[in-house]
Amino acid sequence: MKATYIKNTVLIAAIFFLASCKKYLEEVPNNSLPTESSITDVSTARAAIIGTYDRLQGYYASNYPTLGTITADNVIFNGTLSEYLQLDQNAVPTDNVITVAAYQNIYKTVNSANSVITYVPGVTDPLLTAAEKNKILGEAYFIRALSFFDLARGWGGVQLQLKPTTDLTVLKGIKRSTLDQTYDQVLADLVKAEELLPEDGTTRNRAQKSTARALRARLHLYRKQWADAEKYATLVIGNTKYSLVKPYKSFFTAPFQSAESVFELAYSVNDRNSYWNLWYPSSAGGQFTLKPSDALVAKLNNPTIGGTRNALIAGSGATVYGVLYNTTSTSTDPSYLIRIAELYLIRAEARAQQNHLEAAAEDLNAVRKRADVPETGATTQADLIKAIEDENGIEFAFEAHRWFDLVRTERAGVVLGLTNKNYWLFPIPYSDILSDPDVTQNPGY
Amino acid sequence: MKHLYKRSAYLLICILWAHLAVAQVGAPTIKSKLNGIVLDATTKQPLPGAVIKIKGTTHSVAADENGKFSFVTGQTFPYTLIVSFIGFVQQEVTANGSPIEIHLKENLSELNEIVVTGYSSQERKYIASSISSVSGSVVQDQPSGGFNQLLQGKATGIQVSSNSGVPGGGITFRVRGNNSINASVDPLYIIDGVFVSNSDPISAGLGNQQASNPIADLNPSDIEDIQILKDANATAIYGSLGANGVIIVTTKRGKRNTSAKINLNTFQGWSTAINKFEVATGPEVALLTNESRINTAIDRGENPSTVVLPFPNPENEPTYDRISGLFRTARTSNYEVSTQGGTDKSTYYVGLGYLNQESIVKPSDYTRYSARLNYDNYLTDKLKIGTSLNFTRSNRNLSGSDNNPQGVINSALFPRSYLPIFKEDGTYARYGSFDNHLALIENLDNKAVGWRTIGNIYGEYLIVPGLKLRSSWSLDNSSEYDNSYSSTLISAGIASNGSASSTETKNLVLTNEQVLNFVKSFGEDGKHNINALVGNTINTVLNQSTGATGTGFAANSLRSVSVAATRSGTSSRAESKLLSFFSKVSYTYNGKYTIDGSIRADGSSKFGINKRWGYFPSGGVAWRAGQEDFIKNLHVFDELKVRASLGLSGNQNGIGSYAAQGLWSSGANYLEQPGIAPSQLANPDLTWETTRQFNVGAEFGFFKNRLSIVADYYNKYTYDLLLNVPVPYRSGFASYLQNYGSVRNKGFELGINSTNVATTDFKWTTNFNVSFNNNKIEKLASDISLGASGRNISILRQGYSVNSFQLYKQLYVDPKTGNAVYEDVNKDGLITSADRQIVGNALPKYTGGLTNNLSYKSFDLSFFFYFQQGNKIMNMNDFFMVHGGTQANIGFLPRQLNRWQKEGDITDIPRLTTYSSNPTENGGAANNYGGNVASLSSRYLEDGSFIRLKTLTLGYTLPVEVLKKINISRVRLYAQATNLLTFTNYGGLDPEVSSQSNNQNTAGYDWATVPQPRTFQIGANITF
Repeated sequence: MKATYIKNTVLIAAIFFLASCKKYLEEVPNNSLPTESSITDVSTARAAIIGTYDRLQGYYASNYPTLGTITADNVIFNGTLSEYLQLDQNAVPTDNVITVAAYQNIYKTVNSANSVITYVPGVTDPLLTAAEKNKILGEAYFIRALSFFDLARGWGGVQLQLKPTTDLTVLKGIKRSTLDQTYDQVLADLVKAEELLPEDGTTRNRAQKSTARALRARLHLYRKQWADAEKYATLVIGNTKYSLVKPYKSFFTAPFQSAESVFELAYSVNDRNSYWNLWYPSSAGGQFTLKPSDALVAKLNNPTIGGTRNALIAGSGATVYGVLYNTTSTSTDPSYLIRIAELYLIRAEARAQQNHLEAAAEDLNAVRKRADVPETGATTQADLIKAIEDENGIEFAFEAHRWFDLVRTERAGVVLGLTNKNYWLFPIPYSDILSDPDVTQNPGY
Repeated sequence: MKHLYKRSAYLLICILWAHLAVAQVGAPTIKSKLNGIVLDATTKQPLPGAVIKIKGTTHSVAADENGKFSFVTGQTFPYTLIVSFIGFVQQEVTANGSPIEIHLKENLSELNEIVVTGYSSQERKYIASSISSVSGSVVQDQPSGGFNQLLQGKATGIQVSSNSGVPGGGITFRVRGNNSINASVDPLYIIDGVFVSNSDPISAGLGNQQASNPIADLNPSDIEDIQILKDANATAIYGSLGANGVIIVTTKRGKRNTSAKINLNTFQGWSTAINKFEVATGPEVALLTNESRINTAIDRGENPSTVVLPFPNPENEPTYDRISGLFRTARTSNYEVSTQGGTDKSTYYVGLGYLNQESIVKPSDYTRYSARLNYDNYLTDKLKIGTSLNFTRSNRNLSGSDNNPQGVINSALFPRSYLPIFKEDGTYARYGSFDNHLALIENLDNKAVGWRTIGNIYGEYLIVPGLKLRSSWSLDNSSEYDNSYSSTLISAGIASNGSASSTETKNLVLTNEQVLNFVKSFGEDGKHNINALVGNTINTVLNQSTGATGTGFAANSLRSVSVAATRSGTSSRAESKLLSFFSKVSYTYNGKYTIDGSIRADGSSKFGINKRWGYFPSGGVAWRAGQEDFIKNLHVFDELKVRASLGLSGNQNGIGSYAAQGLWSSGANYLEQPGIAPSQLANPDLTWETTRQFNVGAEFGFFKNRLSIVADYYNKYTYDLLLNVPVPYRSGFASYLQNYGSVRNKGFELGINSTNVATTDFKWTTNFNVSFNNNKIEKLASDISLGASGRNISILRQGYSVNSFQLYKQLYVDPKTGNAVYEDVNKDGLITSADRQIVGNALPKYTGGLTNNLSYKSFDLSFFFYFQQGNKIMNMNDFFMVHGGTQANIGFLPRQLNRWQKEGDITDIPRLTTYSSNPTENGGAANNYGGNVASLSSRYLEDGSFIRLKTLTLGYTLPVEVLKKINISRVRLYAQATNLLTFTNYGGLDPEVSSQSNNQNTAGYDWATVPQPRTFQIGANITF
């Protein structure tokens, strides 16, 4: 009797218990969404494109501008961290932290953009209007174009990952494309983006038609498609929303978003960018890892070369430092992605290459005039092209330009003494070489 | 969860009720009365608390404070009494009449002791598992916070080292090697049945140093004994928590029928640095800098005579001493009071403690206030309830990021010594990336205050003799409140005009367990012994934190986040659950043969929906050959036992609570709008990491067990590792957590205990132990390299042990050119990252300890050596400060002066240069300090073996006659020295160091770390 009672109790308890076990062991986080319910309605669709911009910040806040500067002659290593010394010496190991982080974060951006491109069209929420849907998709195409462009100019032709990674099987069999194929993909995305994006509004922090056109001008410049470069640069320059601001320093003075800016990523006290910390000395609270080279300091201080662009540096003696990123108390410096000055210099170069020398000089002088330096003395095509190269070096001294310009014009050997062309591309991360059967390393690494 | 508790409670009541009914037996009739006394056979002192039991019944009493007891029993004379007392040999005595005097002999051999094993206790001689026991007294009166740190060199099978000399700071504790790569390798700590959290709750970043040892929240003086469960047979009962070994701590409890005993303990200590940093003088730095400049010009093909020297007259440069401002004589104070005792029905232990310890490098310190209450009440003969409660408050003054340019040590060590400490106007001077060390020491304000409650309540019911049900409800609740303020007087606060952060981290572990335990002897002379149990646990872990930061303050005296100009906040929450059922059976025949087995089933909320449950069986056999006549007749062995075990245990610690789920993280915000982005790939098949361990051991006792030897061999194979397998970055992810890979640890352990002399006046005991462990990664998806702030010096590679160092191997410095020549591993004639190789690892080949305790009359002397051999240390101070000129803002260590200068010089320090062209040329100037090698060379890797006289203690116990007059029962005074002597070839300050200890895979770095101090202390132990 007693025994059966116990038996029954245990049995019943066990049944209840096991049933509740399964539920008991289910735990979900309160700060993340399950993948399957990530993009389902208007608010998650909006959040997903915002998240894609956040990923863009991920590589543009500090890594990408560093790759475009310390590698060339404007900026030198002055800190303690080996990864910056390696970049400064152009002896970049395959596991260099900065190149790896940039590469990884660019593909993170691509994956976010791919997710938006794949899932947003399927959202049936009536609150998501067709116009907004197009805008979101246009932004995703633009960001993917920018990401692949940044991969291409840093690493060469890369693997074109165009589907969101839901599991690892979607990765199989995608080999590295050629540089041309990568740029073709960029172009295809830019064409879609330009079509889907809205006409320019007031924002300078989100992609719109001019943003796509400006990047397209740059793409054509990199591909030496001079007429197209000129055409798209003109489209942007012609937009009255954009103009060269005076004085030079006003574009990097808070509250930013000057008329100079075609596209900049904004930060706030809740979403900080502390890139200034790498530029400022410890006496001003920074780490002083990145330092303007003596040669650059001399140029900036020369009224006929730097002009008002000497506002890019501060300090004296051994402690001259760059102040393009200067919001030391709030850490809200934007990432400067496209400025109208660049479009002028793109057009100048495109025109010079097409031997429209006077028009080229005119564009060059527009930029020089804004910096209060005298008009260029260059008259021949070769001199003018050299003058534009020099101007780029000064105008974008601390932005992601100098290195990529010298590589695209194949002048890195002459200007930087980096004769080994293998080093003009960054290495594919060591970890990918080990984990990805479909990738091949760049030569020389 | 509430439902579940309710349900299981209901189930329990049902079971209890059923058994209560069985247990109602008629009251005994009085047949005889027995009075007696229990005495120590040697000292003839009474033994209060000894338990006297009538054989064959459940009737037992405990001796009172005078060792006396009395019985009223239904038995008639003669009958047999079983008399037992912890630390004494159990004895059977025939009672022929009253009164009776019983003499117990002290137990000299550890082979007879009672060992607390998983969920039960057993006599050591019958155990088939590998378990080390350490008495609580071993870890007491030491200038250190955590008992786990003090187990270093005290037991076999464990490897313990302090990561730095910061009091209360992190330690490394491994039982039989590193089992895992990405999951935790720390053992499970169980204090009085409570599963305690060992995760470092401090949120402040200390440059990859583990900020605290959470186990230091337990006052070592409260500890009665410690058991270290090592093999699978011992740990499998803890299933998924047991793979890294289990440390079971039992704290002191009162004994029944003893009068209150009050203990006062105090000690005062003074600590100093054994070695201090040395840097090159101003003139030396100037000379080296000039030389580097000239050499670089030559390498560039320039005419050296055209070089403008940075220091035209190097010998005129001044030298400013920063190092002496760094160190101090650090004080340690410890005060403790405790009382314990018991009545017929209840026992108690109450302890209070205070410990304050300064770091020898300013300004860190550590203060701990602890309180403990242990209470048991025998409500009836059958029902016992009790509680163990521990309250701790810890205060830490943290010195953030010593290995960061804005940390205290780096700011003193790295700036060039010709640069003045103060500016001409008297304010702090700063150079390059570095802060001013004095500014930091005077103005750092980073306090971590921890509150920890570890406690349980339990009820124990004796259903029928031998069958006991225990239910226990435990909690480990810790809260860490970190507040830091960077004023405008230190670099970190200059730009933001003062910045403050305030974070509260709460970790909660709730455990409920039920164990039904059955112990029975039966058959002729009780030849058959069974010890069995079945039980379940429900375990919840909840980690939460909330933090706020603010920047911009009106004045440095305003430090509250609430008054900052800009403010922001963060929070996090993670919860995981574990549900377990387990059973264990041990059978011993005739005191000779033991066979046992256990099984545990664990379900974890962390794992994939497909594979949530894991099953962990184990089994063991032991043969006490010494009990066989043919061995007895040899008259050599007093004990000879061999044992073997095999089993599985699991690991799920160290991975995220939601690691198996596919997730999009929120908080990917932009333009003040909420954003989401993919953050984790789903793995529905994610499951337990499993460790299979085979153990074979032998125990020997000679000379009446005065010499005992325990030897063990084990082979542990951990498979289905919870591994963050790197995936191609083009996926948008860096890694994917999956069950992949395996690690093997095998080793040998030897422990020797010897009572060399045991006369009334003179006693001398020796304990020696040594543990060898060999670790090897047997399967790995691909190399994983990491460590040293992205320099990737540490590597995990199949076929090698964890904690290996990957570096360019410097073969020699060419005496002709002065350039370093490295091994060209792939023989392609170039030096590229493919030429890095594994050149050593941070794991010692063996570790051990030698302890000698001597006492002569009232004096006692003990000395303890710890040793470890075969580990390598990456000397990052050398890495940075023997830089050949490549670091423009960093000074030099004297080692740089040994550089190659002229043809024919034989040295391992290459010629100074900052030339960087042709970084692939082997023997070219670029790779001396920069280039592809970038100083990541074996030049800076050193042997970290050492032998150390860890403690030397001399004590004197005052004569009892003197004390009796003032009503004190015992006074002992002692003086002690810690880390008095160290023998090592290591060139840094101290070989016991691990600066990157936040990650278990980056061991063995010495990087601007507070070294182990040498401490002198005096103390007193007083008992009333």
